[in-house]
Amino acid sequence: MDLFLQQTTNALALGGTYALLALGLAVVFSIMGLINFAHGELMTISGYTLMYAGAAGLPFAVSVPLAILAAMVAAVAMERIAFRPVRNASGATMLITSFAVAMILQVLFQNLISARSQAVLLPDFLSDSVRVGGFVIGVNKIVAIVATVVMLIFLDRFMNKQKTGIAMRAAAEDFAVARLMGIRANTVIAGAFALSGLLAGVAAVLWVSQRASVDPLMGFTPVLKAFIAAILGGLGSLRGAVAGGFALGFIEVYLAAFLPQEMQEFRDPIGLGLVVLILLIRPNGLIPSRVLGAVKV
Amino acid sequence: MKHLIISTGLAAAMALPAVAETLQIGTATAQTGSLAYADAPTMKGMKLAVEEINEAGGIGGTTKIELIEKDVRSDAAQTSIAAQELADAGVSVIVLPGDSDPSLAAVGVVSSAGIPAISTVASSPTLPEVGGEFMFSNFPGDNVQATVSAEWAREQGYETAWIVYSPDTQYTTMPLYFADVFEKLGGEVVGRSTNTIGQQDFSAIATTIASQDPQPDVVMTSAYEPDFPSLLKALRAAGVESQIIGSDGIDSPTTFSLGDVGEGVVFTTAGHATPGSALEAFDQAYEAKYGEAPETIYSAVGYDLIKVIEAAVLAAEGSTDPKDIRDAMAELENVQGATGLITYKGTNGMPVRQVSIIRVKDGERELVAQPTPDPDLIPAPRMQ
Repeated sequence: MDLFLQQTTNALALGGTYALLALGLAVVFSIMGLINFAHGELMTISGYTLMYAGAAGLPFAVSVPLAILAAMVAAVAMERIAFRPVRNASGATMLITSFAVAMILQVLFQNLISARSQAVLLPDFLSDSVRVGGFVIGVNKIVAIVATVVMLIFLDRFMNKQKTGIAMRAAAEDFAVARLMGIRANTVIAGAFALSGLLAGVAAVLWVSQRASVDPLMGFTPVLKAFIAAILGGLGSLRGAVAGGFALGFIEVYLAAFLPQEMQEFRDPIGLGLVVLILLIRPNGLIPSRVLGAVKV
Repeated sequence: MKHLIISTGLAAAMALPAVAETLQIGTATAQTGSLAYADAPTMKGMKLAVEEINEAGGIGGTTKIELIEKDVRSDAAQTSIAAQELADAGVSVIVLPGDSDPSLAAVGVVSSAGIPAISTVASSPTLPEVGGEFMFSNFPGDNVQATVSAEWAREQGYETAWIVYSPDTQYTTMPLYFADVFEKLGGEVVGRSTNTIGQQDFSAIATTIASQDPQPDVVMTSAYEPDFPSLLKALRAAGVESQIIGSDGIDSPTTFSLGDVGEGVVFTTAGHATPGSALEAFDQAYEAKYGEAPETIYSAVGYDLIKVIEAAVLAAEGSTDPKDIRDAMAELENVQGATGLITYKGTNGMPVRQVSIIRVKDGERELVAQPTPDPDLIPAPRMQ
């Protein structure tokens, strides 16, 4: 039982990080219909900011907000430079554009910074663990869970109470009508990117504090996980993204923990098989968006 | 007088090709993409060696080296295309990426063109075996490294081991060799975990190992960055206190900047800069050229690669014919490289090289031993 609880904590921490990542994709998708595959590179930018801030001797409490800010600024810049020109183009055009942005950034990181991983200096307490009875929980796990909860509460209030948040929800339901009501498209879209940058930044800090290094290609895995989680939860739905993130985290951790050793090699196929199974039962995802989503024919 | 001029002219004309001879080395390596972490620093070491040799007048004072560089973007198909282009350009030697898979993609090209090929840092002992007579490696084999670390672990009196490996590449299956040798020496492998390359979260594996009673004495893995720091932190956070043994993939600045978590980690790698060693001299020359210390041992290994080619050309009496170079390379013995002595004679193309055992101590590297493994213990290459 102890072991089960322990693994459940692990799953909560990982699922929370995935939820933040999936939310970052979902916020932009719900408004623009763009799956931003360069979302992972926002995390890389955050990671490098952490690395440089640490190397410059800044305290961790300063470098974390800096890193998050860097991702937000980069997200807004990305929208202005790369996505605004193709805003009304087809979904495929936008998708390819996001791939191009991701690749260009990766090569820039490789050529301008280093092809090799760079170490990120982290405070020692992040590697510590707290012991409660027979229960050991890592500080970085606690941080991940707390950060996820704080972000989810913040997002909920922002979307329901703030004017920009309400405008974003309106735009997600029907952009054309929202614009007729006087909502500015540029503000809403830039806001969505800033928000996705914020989510990417927080996720990046959690991600990097686990691996202690940044490399030019580090954005690939998280964006892939985020994509799976977003699809699983229901593309375009924010609640769905959270549900999908947690579901994916639980699937991954429980399989790694409880699948027999002979089957471990097939852990990823089995995990993705479960995702497909869920999608067969709920083709629009766990909590589908009201306006978007595939129609079962 | 006229006769003299003609004969001098003739002599000069005959001598000229020898003076102006250049050795063309084609590099089809991964300067971008997922293998750039290995091939980019290797290239810097290779360039340093080429520059040194050319400044001294070339190989044997006559043959200058020219590098023809192609970036294969860590892609297997692109490696094969680049190798074909280099073969068509008439190069004498081809350098392939630091992983078996793209290198094997180019094997057909180099074999049919009859050009010797060396992988930068691929360490799977199956590479030259599958690749045939024109394929050479340039790094201590996985099975040799694992033998060294398993022997060391048994000498320390460790009885039980847990291995964490990934079936994704040849390199990440090194712990399977470790398990073989560890058991052959009387130890017991009490458990195995499988990870995926690029896996972010190791908490499930760490919790499983932490829940063992008693915990294993040793946890051995060949996971490398970014997986290794993540695994290590997860293990320590879960309360695993076992000795961690890694491999050359973690010979990187990150491992030494992990703070308390990294302390005591032991790993095998291709060399260690003891005072007065060739590696120390290399590190100084590297710093003079690039303005910073090498980030990894791979740069020195890249330097060695060029020294091996130089030695092969010398042994072939200055010939730049690919076939002559291949034959000479296969017979090389005790070539002095930056990381130590390199021998190909008597092997199938997987060099005999020194292995160093390093411990992380106070965030610095500490040399534990530079043993020569017992040949009888080294497991046969594992074909997947």
